[in-house]
Amino acid sequence: MIRPLKKRDQNGNLYTRPPEIEQAIAAAILQDLATLRRRAAVSTRSSPDFLPSECLVYLIREAWRRRDEQTMNDLMAPLLTRSEALLEAKVPDGLLPNAAEIRENILSEFSFLFVRDGSGDDPDELDFFECRFNQAFRAFRIDFVRREVMRTKHLASLPAENDEASHCSSDEDVFSHLSEAFRNPPTQLQKLFRKDLLEAINSLPPDERKAVVLCHVLGSKEEAEDPSETTAATLCGVTGRTIRNRLNRAAARLSKFKGGIR
Amino acid sequence: MTTTKTLTPLREVLYRFSLSRPIPDAELLDAFIRRYPEYAAEITDFAIEVAVDAALGDEDAIVQAVEPTVSPVVSRAMSRFQNHLFAARRVRLATPAREPTPPSVTENPFAVLDRTAFRRLAARLNANTVFVAKLRDRQIDPDTMTTGFRKRVAEELGVPLDVTVAHFAAQAEGQAPQFYKAEQKPVAIPRQSFEDAVRSSGLTVEQQRYLMSL
Repeated sequence: MIRPLKKRDQNGNLYTRPPEIEQAIAAAILQDLATLRRRAAVSTRSSPDFLPSECLVYLIREAWRRRDEQTMNDLMAPLLTRSEALLEAKVPDGLLPNAAEIRENILSEFSFLFVRDGSGDDPDELDFFECRFNQAFRAFRIDFVRREVMRTKHLASLPAENDEASHCSSDEDVFSHLSEAFRNPPTQLQKLFRKDLLEAINSLPPDERKAVVLCHVLGSKEEAEDPSETTAATLCGVTGRTIRNRLNRAAARLSKFKGGIR
Repeated sequence: MTTTKTLTPLREVLYRFSLSRPIPDAELLDAFIRRYPEYAAEITDFAIEVAVDAALGDEDAIVQAVEPTVSPVVSRAMSRFQNHLFAARRVRLATPAREPTPPSVTENPFAVLDRTAFRRLAARLNANTVFVAKLRDRQIDPDTMTTGFRKRVAEELGVPLDVTVAHFAAQAEGQAPQFYKAEQKPVAIPRQSFEDAVRSSGLTVEQQRYLMSL
């Protein structure tokens, strides 16, 4: 029998694994370690031998419960290899001054979750990874980087600008291209455009970056008449005018993207 | 009569947010901020990072291109993982004892760290090896440590919090009363307070501020 998950979502409902993951686990638990080791090395999703990462997490946790370190070691390496690929794409060199070190630390921290499994403050944390691995790993990774940035005060060194001293006109053209780039799956050409755009967004001062992503990627309103409504202004704790000023300054910095893909 | 609301840990909230949708939007952000107003700032920052992150490529496509070879980075991570596994195994063997373990022989979770792992632990704690040696040798009064600090050390060591707490509470290393040559029984050296240990370990101002803020 496949062990059920214990974690609950924000509405109090138990998380459940997607049916295809349940099926993959049901088949995998009947296989010997040599077969599992071979399957764990397959990364082609369409291959019948492909073991989803959620399934690998389940198998490693079960091995930890029965104190089977051989299985843990054999399946952990391919899981970390997949995770490393995600980290290289999502925490690339240049994003942070010590990106390589952060990637390595995230990888180790992730593996430690398995050794802490079933104990400590959050004994079921890995349930999230059995449910939707990529989205759970994303949360783990972003939270790690957030704590790292807090620790090194990376962003604190960026100078804040005077929010009231707006000097640029709003440029909706820049932002319409930006929204479009984030909304639609990119073509090969758009991938290059998106990469450049992302680099430009990431190099914006934090306040401007926050205003841009809230308003033009997540789709928050700049401000609203109703004070109970969540808007970029309420989220940033500033007036709507300040948000517009930040957007104007960001538009000026991103003006080279005005024409979209040429 | 008042009721006390149990605070959901931030990391739990972030997992829930991330699992709700592959790509978040303003509606999801609004729903989470209303549900967890105490974390409004953190959820907002997290949503921004997730939104930008989504544009850095689809995870399935990234994994699809993975070579089945073990890189040096994965090798090192595996080595650290195995060290933790070894430490946890020793703790597992030590804890089920029927009689309580005397404090002087409490498992030292730092003992399994080799020099490299020790230095890395210091870096992850945003400290230096002098300060971590004080933790290892139980030279700091555990009553003066914050809960946040103890949790952080447990997390970085990869051992349960109660093991870390038990280690700090045990008798300081090198103070075992049965081994002394002097005519008089040695007097245990008073432990440093956490703040004194932070101030006297050669840490930078930034490192001191961080450790004191945990």
